[in-house]
Amino acid sequence: MNGAKVELRGLRRNFSGTTALDGLDLTIEPGELIALLGPSGCGKTTALRCVAGFEQPDEGAVLIDGADITRVPANRRDAGMVFQSYSLFPNLSIRDNVAFGLRVRKVAAAKRHARAQELLELIGLPQIGERYPHQLSGGQQQRVALARALALEPRVLLLDEPLSALDAKVRVTLREEIRRLQLSLGITTIFVTHDQEEALSMADRVAVLRAGRLEQVADPATLYDRPTTAFVAEFVGTMNRIPGKLSGRTVTVLGQDLPVEGDVPATSDVEVLVRPETVIVTPDPSSEAMILVSSFRGSTSRLRVQLGDLEMLADVPGHDTVRLAPGTRVRVELVERPVLVSASSDVAAAVPVSEHDVV
Amino acid sequence: MTVQSPVHTAPAAAGGGSRPKKSKSWLATVPLLAFVVLVFGVPLVIILGGTFTREGTLSAANVTDSLQGAYLTALLGSVKLSALVAVVGALLGTFLAQAVVTSRFRLLREAVLTASGVLSNFGGIPLAFAWIATLGNSGVVTSALGLDSAGWSLYNFWGLTLVYLYFSIPLMVVVVVPALDGLRPQWREAAQNNGANTWQYWRHVGIPVLTPTLLGGVVLLFGGAFAAYATAAAMVGGTVPLVTLQIANALSGNVLIGHENVALALSLDMIVVAGLVMAVYLPLQRRSARWLR
Amino acid sequence: MAALTPAGPMAPVTPPAIAAGPGGRAGRPRRIRVWRGVVLLVAAVYFLVPLIASFTFTVKDASKGFTLDAYGQILSAEGFGKSLLLSLGLGVATIVVVLLLTLPAMLAVRLSVPKLKPVLEILCTLPLVVPPITFVAGITTILQWGPDHLADTPFFQTIIAAQNPDFPVVLVLAYVILALPFVYRALDAGLGALDARTLVEAARNLGASWPHLLFRVIVPNLRSALASASFLTLALVLGEFTIASLLHYQTFPVWIYTISGSQAQVSVAVSVFSLLITWLLLLVLSSAGARQRSGS
Repeated sequence: MNGAKVELRGLRRNFSGTTALDGLDLTIEPGELIALLGPSGCGKTTALRCVAGFEQPDEGAVLIDGADITRVPANRRDAGMVFQSYSLFPNLSIRDNVAFGLRVRKVAAAKRHARAQELLELIGLPQIGERYPHQLSGGQQQRVALARALALEPRVLLLDEPLSALDAKVRVTLREEIRRLQLSLGITTIFVTHDQEEALSMADRVAVLRAGRLEQVADPATLYDRPTTAFVAEFVGTMNRIPGKLSGRTVTVLGQDLPVEGDVPATSDVEVLVRPETVIVTPDPSSEAMILVSSFRGSTSRLRVQLGDLEMLADVPGHDTVRLAPGTRVRVELVERPVLVSASSDVAAAVPVSEHDVV
Repeated sequence: MTVQSPVHTAPAAAGGGSRPKKSKSWLATVPLLAFVVLVFGVPLVIILGGTFTREGTLSAANVTDSLQGAYLTALLGSVKLSALVAVVGALLGTFLAQAVVTSRFRLLREAVLTASGVLSNFGGIPLAFAWIATLGNSGVVTSALGLDSAGWSLYNFWGLTLVYLYFSIPLMVVVVVPALDGLRPQWREAAQNNGANTWQYWRHVGIPVLTPTLLGGVVLLFGGAFAAYATAAAMVGGTVPLVTLQIANALSGNVLIGHENVALALSLDMIVVAGLVMAVYLPLQRRSARWLR
Repeated sequence: MAALTPAGPMAPVTPPAIAAGPGGRAGRPRRIRVWRGVVLLVAAVYFLVPLIASFTFTVKDASKGFTLDAYGQILSAEGFGKSLLLSLGLGVATIVVVLLLTLPAMLAVRLSVPKLKPVLEILCTLPLVVPPITFVAGITTILQWGPDHLADTPFFQTIIAAQNPDFPVVLVLAYVILALPFVYRALDAGLGALDARTLVEAARNLGASWPHLLFRVIVPNLRSALASASFLTLALVLGEFTIASLLHYQTFPVWIYTISGSQAQVSVAVSVFSLLITWLLLLVLSSAGARQRSGS
């Protein structure tokens, strides 16, 4: 089994007034796992459903290995899909669920049972062929759904938030397992998720979508370190917004002059986007800044620091926690490296996903 | 002691019987259980006992009589009519329900569901008269379309079927709509994704998942048509052989002297048929509840 | 006999489970739309024509063309008021008896003797299996057999009293049995939604006595289920023909049947009229159910 190349060309799709896809272009290389990441309503699921054939784009084309399949009906496409939840057929045993596609293709019973067993072993559940979906846990059901999606040896695997209905622990083990399987089969995989951690930890490349358009596509490290837009920067990981003064391609922020990366807005009053781990915090009794809250996370601690009427987040090594207790006066500096800036008005461009673990 | 006495003790049992000592609260169920045993159980025992008694001696003659000649014809006629109504009603009801469920107009859906709830309770004498006024010998539609000269008659087997469907189809809609709503769109898409076309989806997934509900609906429809008496009595009198009409006939004294208990034997036949059909229904209902949760 | 069904009027208020997603079924082929239109059209004709025709039948007149006389004659027709009152009285009596029997029993089962629940459920469902006509066959036999064998015992007086044509208690007894399955289902659903155990424990904790608890805590919270059970019972009694006619009592449906021989138009008019009443009852019931649902 090897993967196919998937191309989305200028996909456009309207649902009675709302635009789900607004000219999406994306090429997925053979054997690659790409994550479509974005807030709800960004069109990521619609894009996936266009590849599966459950949606017809109003404009644009879907190509697999160069062949235009835009008008091919869903049941004749070479793509296996795993749905969000409860997609197993309740009236069929697990084995018959997995072998469903083979049955539809009139494969002999003995052969399709053997194939189903093979797949159940692949997903680590060889014992459950005789059981029925309602007898399985959510995680087991999704594994079976994965086996069913792989049964016809498709060259593209489509995953539509397959882990979102599971609890946290199962989610982590299952995503590792999906990745392991995907790598060993070499199947081209499109994975839709709104969970940035999931996207960053599993994918070869992550495509961030916003309002039906591609915002940025890159490997996880690049996406995190070198986001090309403020939206991506804030959607992926946590970001501080600190006021600064722009002059040319240099910005003055917290008394430091830093080079600017990416687009430069027209105004000189800008906000500088800074990751918590690039904020350096050192105790300094004479400074105005003060630590408000400190939450220990083992290897690091996340500090909430007040500086005038500004609050910012900083990640410091865990062993520094003792000398950086709440109430401590500190000096705040930024690591010397190119930074992203955005116009001051451009607030609420994105909601930092990890907001909830900020104390 | 009269059969009424449990009624009077009921509030007392609820108030006093289940006071702090919880062990006595079962007493509150005694009036209900006693009532059912007495008012429902005794007639059943009488039916059973009477069926096997002729002129004071134990005998199976009533059962034998009830299963031959005109009585057998009536019993078979009832089964035939009920089975036809059940199958046709279930099919048409399912089609109607599917048409409504897949519709994008919410108002249509609400209207059809409410109307079905009401019409499924429409039976008895008023139903018969409504149809007599419509398609009877001097009915409005009959005379408007000149059906009488074309040999039309409502007062036969097919006429009864037509009338019984009037409450059976809505009942089926009421039964099957929740099941149709329970068919998840993911199942259809997953089937398509595995290469199934529409027909294959229905054959392997849709229909099997609906089957318990559909059979359950057939059973309910059968039971309703099988037990119906008033509509048939008002419409056809004795011209269509039906077991309910035969029982009523026998109860009114239209039997051979000494054969009065044939009515009880016919009743027992009916209960056996209805019981067998219901016995199919309960396990089915349980299964569909599990699938469509 | 009103073909009261277990799922009956409750069903319309069931919230639709899954609405089709936005545009999820957009590109629907025209073929399916045509098919659906045909189905709905045929259904509309089949279900509306008898209603319209019945009404037309009652208002057409050979000489005058249109007249509402038939409806005027209902009130003056002999036996109308008496039979309607009898049916209403039977309905009310049946409701009282059936609720007094079932409510304490079901509460007790839910609160402290869950072991009895299957027994209760089966007993309350059994009447569905027994067609009313067979039930009446059994009753008739008892009523005929009783006087012959019990003439000298108090049972005799009881049996005679139960058959008083002005208020036949025997019908109430029979109707309680017929209503049991529906009342059981309605109350069971109501009690299930109520979480009676928590409510009772909370009230007991606050020092409420049992009678207080029953009438001040349970009954008000069960109002909708009780109303639903009562309406179903009333509709059943108002439409019941089989038992009443075979035991020779002049209840409302039996009266309609009796006058149909002499006054066909009036009998259809009464049918239309009684239909409207039943529908009104059921609509009130389903909207009451909907209100409660949205309230909770």
